[in-house]
Amino acid sequence: MHVDYWAHVKQSNAGRAGLILVCLLVGVAVLAPVLSPWDPGAYTGAIFSPPGRDHWLGTNDVGQDIWAQLLFGARTSLAVGCGAALLATLLSVLIGGTAGLLGGLYDRFWMRAVDALLVIPPVIPAILVAAYLRPNLAVTVILLAAILWPGEARVVRAQILSLKERAPVAAARTFGAGWGHILVRHLIPELGAVLVAVFVQGVRRAVFLEAGLSFLGIGDPAVESWGRMMQHALRFTYLDVWKWWLLPPGLALSLTLGAFALLGFALETVFHPRLRR
Amino acid sequence: MVRDRPFATYVLAVFVILSLNFILPRLMPGDPLLAIYGEEALLAMSPELKEELVRRFSLDRSLSAQFLAYLAALFRGDLGHSYYFSAPVSRVLLGFLPWTLLLTGVALCLCAALGVVLGIESGARRGRPQDAVLLSSALFLGGFPDFFAGTLLLLFFGVTLGVAPLAGALTPYAGKAGLSLVLDVLHHLTLPLLTLVVVRVGPFYLLTRNTMVTTLGEAFILTARAKGCPDRTVRYRHAGRHSLLPVVTAAGLQYAHLITGALFVEMVFSYPGMGTLLYRALLTRDYPLIQGILLTAALAVLTVNFLLELVYVKVDPRVVRAR
Repeated sequence: MHVDYWAHVKQSNAGRAGLILVCLLVGVAVLAPVLSPWDPGAYTGAIFSPPGRDHWLGTNDVGQDIWAQLLFGARTSLAVGCGAALLATLLSVLIGGTAGLLGGLYDRFWMRAVDALLVIPPVIPAILVAAYLRPNLAVTVILLAAILWPGEARVVRAQILSLKERAPVAAARTFGAGWGHILVRHLIPELGAVLVAVFVQGVRRAVFLEAGLSFLGIGDPAVESWGRMMQHALRFTYLDVWKWWLLPPGLALSLTLGAFALLGFALETVFHPRLRR
Repeated sequence: MVRDRPFATYVLAVFVILSLNFILPRLMPGDPLLAIYGEEALLAMSPELKEELVRRFSLDRSLSAQFLAYLAALFRGDLGHSYYFSAPVSRVLLGFLPWTLLLTGVALCLCAALGVVLGIESGARRGRPQDAVLLSSALFLGGFPDFFAGTLLLLFFGVTLGVAPLAGALTPYAGKAGLSLVLDVLHHLTLPLLTLVVVRVGPFYLLTRNTMVTTLGEAFILTARAKGCPDRTVRYRHAGRHSLLPVVTAAGLQYAHLITGALFVEMVFSYPGMGTLLYRALLTRDYPLIQGILLTAALAVLTVNFLLELVYVKVDPRVVRAR
């Protein structure tokens, strides 16, 4: 499938909007210390101050600057999202790819396992493990990757199975190419587009799960997180401060999820042209 | 998109969850009793009770014997003892589970009904403004995290407008009965239900719309139109009915999302279901309760999925013939 997916994504409105938003988010996350004069964990001297010149989005109940927390929260979300999605994609290539290539009992074993793992809603094992381990950032990444890989492995395997039967592969076989050569020259380059789509969907789900875990209070307490900001703010709904404190992380999270959803949707239409209608 | 998922898959899934439940507390450093029951619980524990618990969990025996003891206890309906409620976990769960089942059950039916109708109407109007508006709002709302959507609705309708209750499933101490009780329950149910429907109706809608778009291009639709069937009949009796099939398959997956979504949404609205209970259990580190809640939620999802698969066979006879 020689589709220039990059050009395709740039052509669609959803793809362009998603790309711009993701670039914006990454920029904000990288430049977080530059964009905010305050440290996210520092006491700034003002409690529950409304947005103003000193504090762009105000401060919370312990006088921390909300704008700074928001920026550093973007770092956590994107780091966990990208880390977990990358690890999950690697796992899915390792397992889904080999299952598709080797076939037989090995394939059946993994696909049966994947089927069983897919009927379990991912949030449940995530909460269960996090409740016991109280994971830090690295453990969260591993945990989320362990939860995300089965669905992705199924996609990768299906793609490998279909690529295996294509004409170029058959032609290479008739010229006497070994499976190693075919893997490197024909299968992996063709797999690229699928992997990008799988990765983007993985980021979206990982960002969501991380926010959910920290919203329940079982994320890494040492880092800023949008989910934890919301959990914290929700306790103060009786005061009239919620709009300054609760809305920014919620909107930031929705925007991030939306950006990756748009990008994922644009990528998906590359493979399923029917969705374009 | 029909996937043949035999019974064995569900058995395997249950086994995976049970093993996770079993192995996690035993992987923790230190005394497994500490991990199973939590620190606060152990402080209040007498040596006799500790001995009794070690015996009950077969903690002095091999790992496989412990697993068998765990399974045997589960079969007796013994999920452990919640220290926060100082009652058996199963009894605590029975008090909270009905509210979650009410919330998610009604939400599933509403989502499916609304999604199918919107999908049919939208698919029949493909490319026109109404379709474009519905499609983009479905994509937009689908990305909303459910706990944030719930928070927004709570703050708008509950705090700002004051038309909806802020918490709970019943007005406390009101002692209502009959019709006023039903109305009270519905009043408290509205906002959490609205949250779940708004966030989760998207997939049903998108799926129905996609099937509609494909179906409307098929020959039997042309025949129906040629016969002179009115537009409504073609839309609902011919194309719409044909588009129901994938919805049945999707309902299982969506129920999984609804249950886990409800865990978060209930927490926002302090709705006295499994989600609120889970949050309380997490705060107090009541591990037997956490395990019981998550196990029950997982079993609910698996059961609904399995039942829907049976329904699917009834709805689509091709599945039976294919086997």
